[in-house]
Amino acid sequence: MFKKLRSPASQLGGIVIANPCPVDNVEIIQAPLPDKVVLPLQQRMGDEVIPCVKVGDKVLTGQVIAQAQDAFCVSIHASISGTVVAIDAQTIPHQSRLKSKCITIKSDGKDEWVEHKGYADFLHELPQTLVDYIQQSGIVGLGGAGFPTHAKFNTIKPCHTLIINATECEPGIMCDDALMRHYACEVIRGVEILLYISGANQAIIAIEDDKQKAYQSLLTLTHNDKINIVQIPTKYTSGAEKLLIRSLLDVEIPANKFAVDEGIICQNIATTKAISDAVIKGKPLISRIVTVTGDGVAQPNNFEVRLGASFAHIVALARPDSHPHNNRMGGIMMGIDVKTLEVPICKVSNCIFINHTKAKVNIQECIRCGQCNQVCPVGLLPQQLYWYAKSENTDKAMDYNLDSCIECRCCDVVCPSHIPLTQYFSFAKALHRQKTQGQQKVDIARERFEFREYRLERNKTERTKMMARKKEELKQKMANDKTQKSKIAQAMARVKQEKNGNKI
Amino acid sequence: MATKFDSTSQMMRQAIYALALGIGAAYIFFGWGIVLQIVLAVITAITVESVFLKIRKMPITSAIGDGSAVLTAVLLAISIPSIAPWWVAVVGVSFAIIFGKQLYGGLGNNPFNPAMLGYAFLLISYPLQMTTWAGDFISFAQALDVVFNLSPADALSGATRLDEVKTQLSLGGVISELTLHSTAQAWVNMGFLLGGLYLLARRVIFWQIPAAFLSGIVITAFLLSFGDSEHYLPAQNHLMLGGTMLGAFFIATDPVTASTTPKGRLIYGFLLGMLIVIIRTFGNYPDGIAFAVLLMNITVPLIDYYTQPKVFGK
Repeated sequence: MFKKLRSPASQLGGIVIANPCPVDNVEIIQAPLPDKVVLPLQQRMGDEVIPCVKVGDKVLTGQVIAQAQDAFCVSIHASISGTVVAIDAQTIPHQSRLKSKCITIKSDGKDEWVEHKGYADFLHELPQTLVDYIQQSGIVGLGGAGFPTHAKFNTIKPCHTLIINATECEPGIMCDDALMRHYACEVIRGVEILLYISGANQAIIAIEDDKQKAYQSLLTLTHNDKINIVQIPTKYTSGAEKLLIRSLLDVEIPANKFAVDEGIICQNIATTKAISDAVIKGKPLISRIVTVTGDGVAQPNNFEVRLGASFAHIVALARPDSHPHNNRMGGIMMGIDVKTLEVPICKVSNCIFINHTKAKVNIQECIRCGQCNQVCPVGLLPQQLYWYAKSENTDKAMDYNLDSCIECRCCDVVCPSHIPLTQYFSFAKALHRQKTQGQQKVDIARERFEFREYRLERNKTERTKMMARKKEELKQKMANDKTQKSKIAQAMARVKQEKNGNKI
Repeated sequence: MATKFDSTSQMMRQAIYALALGIGAAYIFFGWGIVLQIVLAVITAITVESVFLKIRKMPITSAIGDGSAVLTAVLLAISIPSIAPWWVAVVGVSFAIIFGKQLYGGLGNNPFNPAMLGYAFLLISYPLQMTTWAGDFISFAQALDVVFNLSPADALSGATRLDEVKTQLSLGGVISELTLHSTAQAWVNMGFLLGGLYLLARRVIFWQIPAAFLSGIVITAFLLSFGDSEHYLPAQNHLMLGGTMLGAFFIATDPVTASTTPKGRLIYGFLLGMLIVIIRTFGNYPDGIAFAVLLMNITVPLIDYYTQPKVFGK
């Protein structure tokens, strides 16, 4: 039942990265209540959700402040009790560095909860009721992507396998490790709820093999035959959804398809705990565990913090030093740099890296040494893609499967020339999209033009045809007329004759 | 596994260090000539590269620092006869750097192996100087004299074993009556083989090209000598004569100009080995590595395109 995967990972690419900032004692520190929280209304998909509170309203912890109105959105809840002081554009931790509309709540320091009650006896509820409840509880994937959790269950294809991703996608992040150790009970309960909702035959919890304590704590609490706990090699990108599915089930999901299309549902381990809290206790998602780490902090650790608190609020708890820092949300590989720590913690903020600013490295030419294709987890040839991306030859790059690149940055890390390959690839992807869109427009315009030409031509030929037909008809008529005329003439002649006869 | 090399320069340096054993063996058997040639070639390479970078308005120090020009120079210097006059190395290296690399846009953009382009240029232009090899150990003074004073090299020269065998065969000799072995060349080849294994262990190069290259040579040579053992050189002699090991581990593996896909490297290496035996056997020149490499360089884009590895989910 419990198997440790043999390491085919060497063939799967990916890289082993040492934890940049190992912590001896992984724990969860409860962060104090923030003075104010900033809650963004824009979610991963769909439009901004519309707030159902006004500036000046009193709100309680867990109260809905914006209601999900479409299928890919979830509701937003007040994460503290207090007063809504603003609904305006604020800086959020996003790649674009654009501002986005947020609700700001000032705390009254009481943390009074709204009345809440879940479905402790969830086995007697309809799965759809629970799915809707998960949406109402504001739960999205907490691994970093923020895909709305309920949306994965609203598919037609029946689910056969549930995969719980507990791989802690990148080195240095330890919030899931801590979560499994401290909330093993809730995690298992969450998996059981998901099993019930999805109707899957089995659930596989995938844990990296360097998290023995977390593994043991889950193992001792699992008494369900449907739940398997599997250890996988600690290697970067083995936690990426499709790659994880390949190593667990030996199924490859194509680039243009999703796991749900194959009857597989993946959920992050922290999400299962949130689901358990929501369904059993009725508590919506208003807090999360965030790792604060990096060589710029003296005490890296995990902090359980209310959503919407500023990065600075918990970074201060990790005791940062006074050197200039480079701040990053998410992992060292796929995270995004944030300029300021005055941005709110969002549902996807799994980790904050505070690193000393490093000197820029010298970028050299690509010599096609091939170190990159050795580590590419999807089997691409980054050295070839780079060549075509650089020359903006996107058609050729697509021939080399540019669209399959998952932008994991493994190639960047091993490149001896320090070329930011992934940047080139995302640029080339965008360029290709632009080109194809432009091409589509051109195609449509050309088709329209050609159709117009065709229509004019058709009208013209139809007209000439019609005219020819009419002419023919007229001729026919004339011919008929001739016979008519001759008949008249004959009649006239007869009359004349008769007249003449009468005279005689 | 993460970050194997700090920089591309480090990979180049590794390759230069790995050449030391083979160069050492060549020094032991043929004396100071090779040292002089290397010094000449490296000085020329750095000068020409600097001038060209200046003209192209590129940063000079970082580009020189990448070590590629030096590597090209060293490879070419070991390929030419150690008693060739000084201008051979100068002209060859200049041609290699200018026409082989800089005119294409510098490191990484050249379709042909610069060292081999320089070598082929020299061989075609100066066949006499390029085929007069040192016969025995040459002292430093002798080397200076023959390289710089242009005194006739005849006194010191001797044909290479490959050359000799070829001449004898064309004169009606048969394999069983010829000396096929050359201790000196075997040692030089062993030196480059060991250096190559070091590069493999350090993962500067991958196993596919050398393995396919050597099998290409062995299989082709075996088939030929299997058909007519009296007129074709046996496979084991092909391996230990001429520049076989240097070619297999240092020249064919030039990443810029070789095939870059795992499968492509096998095809590239194998065809290269085959071509070398064919050129050695049927061509006009004693050794065929340079021409074979240049010919195979042309096929690289095609090989790479059709040997793409399977991509996840496709």
